[in-house]
Amino acid sequence: MLVAAVRRRAWWILLGVVLFAAAAFLPFVTTPFYVRVGQLVLLSSALGLAWTLLGGFAGYWSFGNSAFIGLGAFAAGIFEVELMKGQPWLGFALGLLLGAAISGLAASVVAWPILRLRGIYFAVAMLGISQVLAELNNNIDIFKGSMGLVLPRLSAFGLRPEALYFYLLLIATILITILAFAIQHSRIGAGLMAIREDEDTARMLGVPTERYKVTMFIASAALTGALGVIYAHSLGYITTSSVYRTEFSLNMIVYNLLGGIGTLIGPFLGSAIMVILTQVVLGRLLSIHMFVTGALLVLLVLVAPKGITGLVRALRQRWSAR
Amino acid sequence: MLALQTIADGLVLGGLYALSAVGFSLIFGVMGVVNLSHGALVMVGAYLAWFFWHALGLDPLVTIPVVMLCLGAFGYVYQRGLIQLAVDRSSHVASMLVTFGVALMLRNTLVLVFSPDLRSITPSYSGHPLLLGGIVIDPVRLAALGASLVLLGALALILNRSRMGRVIRATAQQELAARLCGVNAHHVYGLTFAVAAAFAGAAGAILGIVLPFSPPDEGLWTMNAFVVVTLGGVGSPQGALLGGLLLGVMATGTSQLIGPAFPNAMMFAVLVAMLLIRPSGLLGNAFAGSR
Amino acid sequence: MSEPILRLDHVTKRFRGLVATNDVSFEVPEGSICSLIGPNGAGKSTIFNLVTGYLPVSEGSIHFQGRRIEGTPTTDLARAGIARCFQIAKPFPELSVHDNVRIGALFGRDGARDIGAVTRDAMALAGLTERAQTPASELTVGYLRRLELARAIAARPILLLADEPCAGLNATETEDVIDILRDVRARGVTVLLVEHDMQAVMRVSDRIFVIDAGRKIAEGPPEAVANDPHVIAAYLGTDEE
Repeated sequence: MLVAAVRRRAWWILLGVVLFAAAAFLPFVTTPFYVRVGQLVLLSSALGLAWTLLGGFAGYWSFGNSAFIGLGAFAAGIFEVELMKGQPWLGFALGLLLGAAISGLAASVVAWPILRLRGIYFAVAMLGISQVLAELNNNIDIFKGSMGLVLPRLSAFGLRPEALYFYLLLIATILITILAFAIQHSRIGAGLMAIREDEDTARMLGVPTERYKVTMFIASAALTGALGVIYAHSLGYITTSSVYRTEFSLNMIVYNLLGGIGTLIGPFLGSAIMVILTQVVLGRLLSIHMFVTGALLVLLVLVAPKGITGLVRALRQRWSAR
Repeated sequence: MLALQTIADGLVLGGLYALSAVGFSLIFGVMGVVNLSHGALVMVGAYLAWFFWHALGLDPLVTIPVVMLCLGAFGYVYQRGLIQLAVDRSSHVASMLVTFGVALMLRNTLVLVFSPDLRSITPSYSGHPLLLGGIVIDPVRLAALGASLVLLGALALILNRSRMGRVIRATAQQELAARLCGVNAHHVYGLTFAVAAAFAGAAGAILGIVLPFSPPDEGLWTMNAFVVVTLGGVGSPQGALLGGLLLGVMATGTSQLIGPAFPNAMMFAVLVAMLLIRPSGLLGNAFAGSR
Repeated sequence: MSEPILRLDHVTKRFRGLVATNDVSFEVPEGSICSLIGPNGAGKSTIFNLVTGYLPVSEGSIHFQGRRIEGTPTTDLARAGIARCFQIAKPFPELSVHDNVRIGALFGRDGARDIGAVTRDAMALAGLTERAQTPASELTVGYLRRLELARAIAARPILLLADEPCAGLNATETEDVIDILRDVRARGVTVLLVEHDMQAVMRVSDRIFVIDAGRKIAEGPPEAVANDPHVIAAYLGTDEE
């Protein structure tokens, strides 16, 4: 099944390989500012892909995935600072696993009850959960959320820090893309699509809906947690407000919506456009940043509710109908 | 005595929560739209009241009708011009994103016009606490509670006794049937939104005399409204009152017993727990239908 | 006689005070087409909901291939080989006909190897091959019914429950559905039908169970049932309402 899918999409995959390979040269040809922009595009794309495993494939829109960024970041951060002094890379590697594990564990605890909720209720319950965790992180001293945490510095091959994190994020993004592709084109991917379209009918056809939803929820959370660890290191110093950001949760949705929800290129298209627009084009207009983001959001839902890929598909259909 | 004082403080806050949530509840009950810009409307009300007080020296309780009128008009246009379009073109979840976009725009506008600083309104009658059987009662807070209750009562009367109220409730229950009876559903939705926004504005004006405020608070007031509705149930002033008072007492109780930093965490935990355990609200008339 | 595919023993279903299914027993033999008929609101769909695990039974037992199945989750029953098509078709609207049927093939009863072949075969049986790429949301009622059947067949069921597959169809479309049901049975699938179109029921069924007000009032081959005074009374009764 997967083999057939790979063959069918050979050109797309080739394009992806070429783009990823080209991206690897970015740190050599541009200024640190653009490398940081590239970092942000990669991080947003990867977060968007992790979100879409549940949100795009199964139609369960989480409005609280930033909780997993925060959980991952602080789990790894506290572990590395307390137990891994002097061994930054080993600490980072173990921290990455720990961050993913803690996020996945947290997701598995709430998965059964919360995935019974549908639509807006699931979205809001996730928003609520992320707020609870953020408040607890901020207000309980042992988590160091309010005073902050300085993470061990990583360095390798004499790379500048922004280039290093660019490459770490690039690797993470490639891995998540491959995983998402494999899931999308396997039995579970078809099952998730059925859940998104009509969950009751899916169950009647024999799709193990509960198991699939729970699995994807945990996978999505664990990947988001791991990305949180990398992000935390790229910041160097983290507080509750720098990693538990509702903005992140929202961006995952917006970028997916803009690119095309349920697709794999959607998060890439959406992230690239929005990050470049907000960081590069609007970079100097910080005072109206929020206004523009809000206005874009409104326009997006009204003009292209199915995102860029949906728009392209509609245009192509109109073209071939002529 | 401390317990009584906590409850008294909680009730004052609860009245405000109830009033600030009633519009959110109405919109959800009638249209099924989760209005994430509700808190922003509350903040707009607060800043309008602040402006009248600061520039013209008018007491917020006096300018409530003006604030309500402004926000009501805005609410009607907002619903007909944006929300309805979003609902028609995509889905209710997408309409939620539209309201979030508007919340961001309103927040940014407030920052640009009024600066991001904390503001507060101090009416002439503040600073003369009354002592009632050992409990300290601030007349400002008493006035705030009174105004909240009066406005909630007025809304209940409007919904239950007036023609407009009956049409709104009928449309909420059976849109198609109401349409067949000659009701212009879109107009009714616009009116509902106008009423909801007007009461959000009123809540903002009252909020101004009780608490200091700044534009980013809008998110918190939206979440407050959500918790109130999950507690009390959707669509009725009575439900909002119950949910609001409960939340108020819980918030003051939490900061008294656990620590002043924890009311928010408690509030969100209650929200999640209610969604999971009893999504229909304590009175059992809330989220059940669309689950 | 061999074990029937489906056996209901004294099945009763109550909704609060209302008795929707009252002490109903019947057996569906392997390889047969059986029909449940009765006036509107007689409780036929409730029986389907009980068999597919949508509703828990209040009393009595249901056996599928000799195994008790009351209380088994719907998903597990689907994997054991019970498929159901709905009267109001429930396609996955955004997916093509092919992808709809493919999901039936991917899940359903355990053990399919070649998903592509099963999908094509089910589409061919239901006469959908030419519309494979059409989005389900663009199909007419007649084709939606075929899709509903194709998706159920792709699940390789042992027992197919078809809820009014002919409702709302014209004479030729009804004819097509009857042919499809016969083809399905020819492959060894047992069919239990709920249908209002009496002509279709009389032609296609081996055995008919008549339900009225939640009770089974008659049972037998088509001719016998058609001449049963209880059945005539039940039907005339509803005509006068």
